[in-house]
Parts: sequence; C-alpha cells; structure tokens
Amino acid sequence: MLPRPRLLGALFLGGALFTYGATSEVAWLFLFAYLIWAAAIASYAYALWNAAGMRSGLRLAAVEPGENSPVHDLPEALFRDAPLPAPIFEGDSARIELVLETAGGQRGPARIAASVGGCELEAGTGLVPVSGWRAERTLGPLRRGSIEATALLLEVGDPFGFFRQRQRRGGGEVAAVMPLFTSLTEEVHVREVESVLTATRPGHGNELYGVREYRSGDPLRRIHWKTSARRGELVVREFEPPGLRVVGLLLERDPPFDEVADQLARLAASEAWDCIRSGGRVTVWAPGLEPLPMTEGRSLWAVLDWLARYPALPPDKVGIAPPANEVVGFCSRGGGDVDAELGRLRGRGVEVRGWVVGDGHLEVPHRRTGLAWPP
Amino acid sequence: MRLRLPASPVEDSGYARIFALAAFAVACLSLLAYGQTYQVPIVAVVLAALGHRFSFARRHGERGFYRQVLIAGLMFAAIAYFVFDSIVGFFVGQLPQANFVMLLVAITSFDLKTRRNLYSSMWMSLAVIYLAAVFAWDYLFGGFVLAWFACLAGFWAASRLRQMGSFNLRLPARLAAMVLAATLFAGIVAFWLVPQPSAQPNGPLVISLPNNVSFHGELENPALPLVQFGSDPSGSNGSVDLHYRGRLSDDIVFYVRTGAPAYWRGLVFDSYRNGTWIATDSASKTYPSYVEARQLPPAEGAQLGSFVQTFRIVRPGPGVIYAAAPVESIYYPAAQIRRDAYGDWRAPAPHRANTTYSVVSHLPDYTPGALRGTTGPDISRAHFPAYYDVGNLSARAQALARSYVANVEPGDRYGLVMALTTGLQRDYAYSQQLGRVPPGTDPIDWFLFDVRVGYCEQFATAETLMLRSLGIPARLATGYATGEYSPILDQTIVREHDAHAWVEAYFPGHGWVPIDPSPGYSALAATRFPDRWAASGLAKLFPHLTVSAPGAVLGSLGAIAAGPALVALVAALLVGLTWLWARRRGLPRRARSPGQVALLQLYEKVQRRLGRRRAPEQTPLEYAAASTASGDVEELLREVTEAVNQGAYANRWPEPEEVSQLENRLP
Repeated sequence: MLPRPRLLGALFLGGALFTYGATSEVAWLFLFAYLIWAAAIASYAYALWNAAGMRSGLRLAAVEPGENSPVHDLPEALFRDAPLPAPIFEGDSARIELVLETAGGQRGPARIAASVGGCELEAGTGLVPVSGWRAERTLGPLRRGSIEATALLLEVGDPFGFFRQRQRRGGGEVAAVMPLFTSLTEEVHVREVESVLTATRPGHGNELYGVREYRSGDPLRRIHWKTSARRGELVVREFEPPGLRVVGLLLERDPPFDEVADQLARLAASEAWDCIRSGGRVTVWAPGLEPLPMTEGRSLWAVLDWLARYPALPPDKVGIAPPANEVVGFCSRGGGDVDAELGRLRGRGVEVRGWVVGDGHLEVPHRRTGLAWPP
Repeated sequence: MRLRLPASPVEDSGYARIFALAAFAVACLSLLAYGQTYQVPIVAVVLAALGHRFSFARRHGERGFYRQVLIAGLMFAAIAYFVFDSIVGFFVGQLPQANFVMLLVAITSFDLKTRRNLYSSMWMSLAVIYLAAVFAWDYLFGGFVLAWFACLAGFWAASRLRQMGSFNLRLPARLAAMVLAATLFAGIVAFWLVPQPSAQPNGPLVISLPNNVSFHGELENPALPLVQFGSDPSGSNGSVDLHYRGRLSDDIVFYVRTGAPAYWRGLVFDSYRNGTWIATDSASKTYPSYVEARQLPPAEGAQLGSFVQTFRIVRPGPGVIYAAAPVESIYYPAAQIRRDAYGDWRAPAPHRANTTYSVVSHLPDYTPGALRGTTGPDISRAHFPAYYDVGNLSARAQALARSYVANVEPGDRYGLVMALTTGLQRDYAYSQQLGRVPPGTDPIDWFLFDVRVGYCEQFATAETLMLRSLGIPARLATGYATGEYSPILDQTIVREHDAHAWVEAYFPGHGWVPIDPSPGYSALAATRFPDRWAASGLAKLFPHLTVSAPGAVLGSLGAIAAGPALVALVAALLVGLTWLWARRRGLPRRARSPGQVALLQLYEKVQRRLGRRRAPEQTPLEYAAASTASGDVEELLREVTEAVNQGAYANRWPEPEEVSQLENRLP
C-alpha cells in the first residue's frame, strides 16, 4: 500500500493548519488539522481492508460477428460443442468483460486495466457489490490468432485517494480468433446431411473406435459403465463410420508474412470444413509443429483452434506424419518442406494435392490463389 | 532553466465541482453568520455557481482571449474594491479582505478547467472560513468546520473516482460512512483531548483592515465600568472614584481568543487624592495601526515566551485598547493608535461593535523564584514621585501595613508584597454589594477599619498606598479579569462584571508586576501558559492564572508544537492496526482434519525432496505431470497428488494412518 501525492498534500495542509493554529490561537484550525490527519489514518485502514478482499479478472463476454463471418452459415447443431460463449472468427468484434469481485461484502473503489490483444482496456468503479462488478469493452475487428491479456492490473485504494495498491499479473489467453472458411467445392457429399445431424463430432457412427472420457453433451447411452467404474470417471464409447475419409492438411512451417499465414489457415479451414461436413476426419500438421491430436480430427472447432494458433504452435516432439487417405498441402513457395513431404507421401501411394498462395510451384497437382478472400 | 509545475489534468468530475462549490458556499455562509457581512457572500455564491457551470461546460475548450481579458479586468476591479474599501471604507469597510477573496473565487470560477484550479478555489474558500473562524465564538461554528471538511472529502472522493474511470459517485455507502464517521470521531476526539500548543506568534492577526479614523476632535464617550472619563474619548483624562460604584451587569463586553488567559489591562493610575485616582502623566506617542515589536521598548526581565490575543468588541465603548501587559506588538484597525506613559493603548475613537484587533504580549517570568532574585536600581523617586506618594493614607493604615510585614526582611521585596497581599486577602472580605461610602469619610479607612468588606478598587487602592508607605513603588491598574474561559474553543467571554482593578508593584529587573489583593484571586497575578487540554474539564478546575504546565510552556517554543499531534497520530495508527489484527484473529477458520494436515505436510516434504517447488499457478496435476523422471519419489508424488486432489475437490481426505503409510515410503 503506497501513499499517493495527495496524501503528502493533505498532511502538509494539516501541518500548515496546525502551525497556523498554534501561532494564531484560532482553535478551529486545530480541528481542521486533526480531521485531515484522521482522514489519512482512516483511509489507510480502509485501503488495507479494501485491498485484502478484491479480486480481478477478465473474460470473453460475447462476440459480434463480422460481415464475412461463417457463423451465419453453419448448422445450428454444430454450435453444441462450439467454444463458449461463441466462436470468434477473423473480422469479428469481441466484447471483453472486466470483472471485479469482492470477498465478504461491498468494497471499492477499484480499477482494472489490461492490455488485451494489443488494446489497452480499463475500467473503474467506486462500488463493487457483493455480486461483483463488470464492465464491457469491445475489441475488434480482430485478426486471427490468440488474444492474450497481458499486464492485468488491479488498483485499489481508499475513497479519498490517499493510498493505492497495484497488483499486476499475467492475464493469460482470453480467446483464439479462428480463420474464416468457406466451402471450396460445390459437390454435395452424400453423407453431408447425415453428418450434420448425427456425426457432427467424433465418436458417432457404427464401428467401435475406442473409448474416451465423457464430455458434456455425450449421450448417456454411450457411457461405458464398466470402464467408468474401473477408472473412477465417466468413459464413453467412441464410434466411427465405416469407410471413413481421412484428409491430412499439411501447412507450411514458416509463412513469410502474417497475411500469407492467414490465407493458408483459411484455405486449410475450408478444406477441413468440406471434409468434416461430409462425415470425414482430418489431420492437421506442419513440419516441425505439434499436430492436431488424432482424436480431435472430427471436431471442426478443434481444427479451427489449431489453425487459429498456426504457426505459433509448440514444436513437434514425435515428427511422424499422421495417417491420411488424402493429403492437401498449403504453402506459399515451391520446393519447400511441404513440397518435399507431399512428394514423399505420393510415393507411398497417398493421394495428394495442394494450394499455393502466391507464385510458388508445387510438384503435385495444386490450385493457386492470392490473398483475397474468398479465393 | 524554467521551473514549471507538472500539468494538472482537466477535472471531468462534475461531482468534484459541486463539492468545490459547496465548500465555497459553506465558507461564505460561515462568514455571513459570523462576519456579519451579507451582500458580497450571497453575490459571490450565486456568481460562483454560474461560473462553475460555465467552466464545466467548457472545460475542454481553449481559453479564449476575450474571456481572459474579461476575467483579468474583473480581478482588477476586485482589487480596486479591496483598496477602496480597506483604505477609505468605501463600502463600509467590513472585512474587505474576506470580500476580496470571495469575489476572487467567484470571478475565477468562470475559468476552472483543471483539478489544480479547483484546489486553488478550495484553498481560497478555506481562507474565507478561517477569517470566519476568527469571529466564531460559539460551538455552532464546529458545524461549519465539519461541513467544509465533508465537502473537501467529497471533492477528494469524486476526483479520485473520476481518475479511476468511474463516472458516478457510488461508494460502499455503509463503509464510506464508517470511514467518514471514524474520521470525524477521531478528529473531534483529538481536538477535544490533545493539547493545543502555543507557538511563537509571527505577529498580531490582521483581521479588520484599518479605517481612516485618526485622532481628532471630541467624540461621544460612553461609560466604562470603574472608570469615569473626562472629555478625551481615549480616556487619558479618566479617573477612578472610590466613593461610589455602580452595579455591573452580565453583558458581554468583548471576546478574547488568547494563548494564555491574562488580565486585560486598560488604564493605569498613579495619583490618589481624596478617594479618586487620576493619571498625572499625559505624555503619549502615536503609532500607525500596526505597531511592530521593534518600535516598542523591550520587555524587562526574563521572558517565557509571547502569545497572541484576538479581541472582538461586542459592546461599543471608549477607545481603550485592552491587552495583556506588556505588549510586544499590536494591530488595531484605525489609522493611528496611541501609547501613553504607562504602557496603555488607546484608539482614536470609541470602539464600534464587532471591532476586532489583535495583540502579541510578552509572557514575563513572574515566578516567585525569579521575583525573589530582584536586582538593579529601583524606580527613581525624583523622576516618578507619584509612585511613592501615599496620598492621604491615614497613619493607622500605614501602621497596619507595617504590621503585615513585620516578620519580613526589609530587602525582600517579594516577601513584603506577598505578605501584605495575602494579609489583606486573609483579613478582609470581598463583596460587590457594598453601600456608598459615608460622606466625609476616607474610602480606604472606611474599608480597612469600619466595614472590613470591599470590592476590588478598595483592595487595590489600599494595597497600592500601603506598598508605597513601605517604600515600594506601586500603581493602580484597571481593566478586566480573565473572564469565562472556554477550554474547547480556547476563548474567553469577558462580561461587564469582570471589570477589575489590581495593583502593579515595581520589581527592579522585572518592571511592573501585577499583584491582586482581592480575595479569591491569585495574589501574584502573573500570566502563565495554561494546560491546554481542551476538553479535559480538569482545566476548568484550576484558576487560570495559577495553572502552569511545563509542557505547554515548552510548546511555546514552536517545534514541539507538532509533538502532541504526532503522538495522537501514532496512537490512532496503533488502535487501527490492533483492530485489524484482532479482526483477523477473530475470523472463523475452517477446521482441518488431522489427515488433511498430515497429507499437506507430506506433500510439502515430497516437494522439498524433489528440490522443486510447485509454482503458484500450477495445479497439483500439472506439477506432477511436469516431472518426467521416474523413481520412488516421483511415484510417491503421483499418489500424493491423487490424494490431494481427492481431498481438495471431493473432500475425501485420507486418515492419518494412510498418510503415515505413504510417508514411510519416502526414501
């Protein structure tokens, strides 16, 4: 708890009044001086108490979709396991909620400030009720990537502004902004309707694929009770449809510009959407970067989340390309690691093709596009 | 290099402006109530309200040239008003400096952009309320002080909240009220209990600026208790006739705010004939309204310090300037004042009601020990024969004087004076209900040998003449006793029945020392710094003139003045911390099971054994997963982690025996 300049001014004023009272015999000046000094002491006690029970935080409160957001075109069932409160795509605006919470009664004043996604947000109040206090700030339009909150600052003090305590800490990730996507093919897969309705998430189908932990939304009939009893946690059966189409999405490791990376992520997201909506599964990886877990291959949101962070992903420890029936490469230049990997996979009999952003050339069949979206 | 203050932010809080305006209104109201100046405060508040609204609406705009010119012009007009009113009494001359400040606040309120501007406005209103405080002689003024302070607190809170990004003035109402109440309580208690020190005054307070009244002609001269005046309004031709005495009322004559209660000396008389005292030396010197210490003769003898007195005349009366003697410096709101040969001060005209003047007086060391050490020549009998003249004091009265001092060494002047004084106090009764002196009878003989009851003039006259008969120079001093002292407000109400007469005896090396032979008064009427424990009603138990407090006397040195306040602050801080500590101890704690305690201790041990502490942001699972090594400790860690998680999230803490089994596995 540190004093502010105002405290020094107040103490000086009290001292001046006291001295003037002692030299002028105007007793009221002593009362003024004592009141000011008493205010300083009471403020210190209050500020300590205020700081002891104040907590701060921030979270994503809502998303305002941008013009090109694909969220309007997605089937409603897909949102059952979408990120909460809503998925964020490039160009969307996010409403960030700055939260102040108090322990054991009303407190205040307090101020919260943070740098979120490069924007400085701050809000303050004199009263933090028992139910907490919230202020919303809008960020956007947003770019693809992780929205990090840094330098989260909680400032508390006394009502008169004599004392102040600042607590700083990292805020962590608030949300990940996913790439835009669209369907790149006019072909309507025969399984599309079924997949939308019944296979919108991994684990649906007829063939037992394995077991996994229970997640919110899983049907109760899929719970494997014996295994659950053995492990002490709920476990569900996971099924896959027969003749599953598995598409591998191979992205360039180091795109030259952010804009290129964005476009590569959009193209990959579009390919993933086309695959998943037709009932297939995708694997996503980039040479040297940690791939999307195999178990997440039927979750569009997991794929989009991986692409939202691309290429700022942790390094791969295994270095084995995930299995796939078909692999699509995405790169901005020919002769690179993507080209080589596609060549190697083609040699093993895997069906390969590619997307090139810019003027690069691939040895495998590919389509070319610029930075405009849709391509 | 230019020294510039850091830029002050534009004050966006409307509430802060409201509080600043309210503080000014409180100050004006207090001046209206106590300064009895009416037009300017009302006009100033109305103008300030308009000005604040104007400033708030344009707080982010540029300061226009014409607005600046207009404001500067108005300020010059206010200065002109101040000059005219203070010098020639153009507008009655009632508190021109306060009116000037109020007009200044009103004018500048049209240009209040920044927080610093508002602070300036607040401090000017504080100056106004200080001027009102000088006139405040009752407890009601405490309400104005609290109201102004509440405005200051509101201003602080509003500006701070706006600074923090809050647009409204919402605070935890109950808690804010508690803070404010604690502040008021602690402040008032400190004011009530902590001694109010007297520091070395810088000089007299200049309250009412001087008007153009100087000595000329003759003026109406109302009566003064005890003293019958002649034609001179200043009272230099006054006399005291002991043959009769009027009844003295309870009317308030003046208020005094003083660093030490004292006798308020008015006139001194040196010649007594046939029951009447007169002053024979009519020489005087004229001074300007403010007489500095260097213009006056230095005080004789050792001094304990000096103290300031502020007088406010309630009842119009002759222009006798009452003050504690000896005077160090003086300010009286007139063009000229006079000091006579006896050290008395006179105004050129009778006092008007509400006339306020201030005096700084020496506080000589008139302790018995100091007075016994009398050295130096006595006052010259040749130059000042009146001080040795026994007048028509009868032989038997002189014999009575000698009988009182029969056992005292002739060279012990203090012993002689005290023996005579205490003898009179012991053997004679005091009464103000005394009939007229029979015609043809000497009032002193009648008092000493017939009725043996008298009032202060008779005691003082008898003692003066008896001292003279013993060869000790003495004279009669008149004025007012200390009056009714309010220890909280540190002020005295002096009423007509406080009119008093006493003796001034000359002590070589010390000058004229006040001696009071009237029963019920301290024989050595020396002023002392009192115990200034404002509300300790104990102060009232002691006669003002006998209370001596070494600490308070030391307080007059100035630097120690801050001591009591610091002590109070530290005490309050300790109380606050103790309260917090007690509150913290009093919070209920969740009881922990023995297994929980043992498990958490084991968890700590395992961490120490691994040589790697769990980071605050790590969950136990994350901490366990971060350990890639495999060994007995790592295996134990995983089991302990599982147990900790079950306890923390499912409240299934293990039994102490289970924990001890785990602990046994710790290598």
